[in-house]
Amino acid sequence: MNKSGDFFTKMKRMLSMINQVRQLKIGIILLTIIILLALFAPLIATHDPFSLNDDMVNPPSKNYLLGTDGLGRDIFSGILYGARTSIVIGVVAASISGIVGTLIGGISGFYGGKIDSVVSEIINVFLMMPTFFLILIIVALFGSSMFNVMVVIGITTWTGNARLMRAQALSLKQRTFVKSLENIGESKIKTLIKHIIPNGIFPIIANTTMNISEAILTESGLSFLGLGDPNVMSWGQMVYNGKSYLTNGWWISTFSGAAIVLTVLAFYLIGDGMNNILSPKLNDNK
Amino acid sequence: MARYLRRRILTGILIILVSLVINFMLIHLAPGNPISLLAGKDNPSQEMIDALTEKYGLNDPIHIQFISYVKTLLKGDLGYSIMSSEPVSKLIFEKVGPTLLLALTSILLAVVIGTASGIFAARKRGSLFDVTMNGLSYVFDSTPSFWLGLMLILIFASKLKIFPTAGMVDLRAQHEGIAKAVDILWHLTLPLITVTLIQIPYYFRIARASVIQTMSEDFITTFRAAGMKENKIFKKYIFKNAILPTITVFGINLAYVISGVAIIEIVFAWPGMGRLMMTAISKRDYPLLMGIYLILSVSIAVCMIVVDLIYAVIDPRIRYD
Repeated sequence: MNKSGDFFTKMKRMLSMINQVRQLKIGIILLTIIILLALFAPLIATHDPFSLNDDMVNPPSKNYLLGTDGLGRDIFSGILYGARTSIVIGVVAASISGIVGTLIGGISGFYGGKIDSVVSEIINVFLMMPTFFLILIIVALFGSSMFNVMVVIGITTWTGNARLMRAQALSLKQRTFVKSLENIGESKIKTLIKHIIPNGIFPIIANTTMNISEAILTESGLSFLGLGDPNVMSWGQMVYNGKSYLTNGWWISTFSGAAIVLTVLAFYLIGDGMNNILSPKLNDNK
Repeated sequence: MARYLRRRILTGILIILVSLVINFMLIHLAPGNPISLLAGKDNPSQEMIDALTEKYGLNDPIHIQFISYVKTLLKGDLGYSIMSSEPVSKLIFEKVGPTLLLALTSILLAVVIGTASGIFAARKRGSLFDVTMNGLSYVFDSTPSFWLGLMLILIFASKLKIFPTAGMVDLRAQHEGIAKAVDILWHLTLPLITVTLIQIPYYFRIARASVIQTMSEDFITTFRAAGMKENKIFKKYIFKNAILPTITVFGINLAYVISGVAIIEIVFAWPGMGRLMMTAISKRDYPLLMGIYLILSVSIAVCMIVVDLIYAVIDPRIRYD
């Protein structure tokens, strides 16, 4: 009884917090709609997104809500299925980057010493590398399956998270509760995993949400360059296909690109909203 | 200062070294074996394979191979392009001009416009301008650059027919001198607008945040309490402090822009390194790709060090660290 009451007050507090930060509210609403559309794509889609037919480059009409592309595929249905690809790639890639970054940053900040200086230098180096180009080369060399794209984006973007986690670990290390853990003989690795990381994870979650946006953009960029996974429906590929029909079929690139903007925007707003809660100094709503 | 300088240069060298190692690793891990390619398909004899492996030093331990690879690079030899059998360095050198023109002009524009509007928005916090700019900055941050480029082509080139759709010069007209410059500028407009619009939010947000941050510092409150004029506080104290983060961001952004411009070049058929990269990808021209990557990494490392040095000159807190 008490516990459920507790839960409700917590939920209420969370909701009021979400309501206070405008970006977060808009982002969550937008994302919910997009996720629902992606989940129920088979029910909502009016056509099979892969099936070709003779109505090539048809403008938006009652039958084809957003028109058809150069091979007669329905754009509306394609966008619905493409949402799945984008969200999966974004979330998985950003999670890989989040996990790797948290572990490396946590170890570096918490253990300090030589490990820390080496890791910091690695982070510095990574920050100055043309990451998109590196991703592009790796995908071009090793093939552009969805799995490859996700892993490569994940392992080339962890440095931002590592920097955040390192800073968190450095400050948490000085706190009394961590020092007392040390005194009662808790092992270092346990302290790191059980106390430092959970207590310092929030900025990384906010950053990971932003990274989902980045990953979706990177994937669409790769697809636009013809380096997307040919076996899945992807918005970047749709924009790429529409490029050759720009003058007689503007709807192909326009709508699929707009879908990218909206989805990226949703994750972006949520991430930024979380950051605003973290550093209220910059919050505009107060 | 000397110590700081030495440290930054060391980091720069490290970056170049890491790029070399990554490059080398990629060449070695990439699918496909150069020897089987050289030996041909018609039942190459084992002796021939051995001889070729020996000749190209592929039997040597990996670190010796790496050293000889670096030695070749130091001579300025980036290898030969597979598709045109011309030296990679020559191909890249021919294309570097248009890319730099597009990238550097857009960075300058974005820094000026973004920073100015960011400062202005921060001073008029909550105003219509601030709110609109904030909203716009989110939207442009979420927009894929290639799509923005396509939309600009659709509106300004296909429908309104104001600007050309693609290329760098009008091939039918043989312009010389000033006419040529105007022609290039004409073709540059749309790609330039695209790259600039994509970058503005970045500088806008940094400038806005750092002005707001500085304005809430205690020493500013003290000045205000002492009755110092708002304009004077801003000019003398806020502006200087707020502009500093922009310089750091500028350095980091440089890396992003130079590789980000590539994709825009493809949209607008701008004859720069992006186009070269695209053909290299579609033809699987690995030496050319590696060469582009290497040149990019090295130039970015150099730019970053220069930016850091400028920063150290401007902000004494850095150099006495």
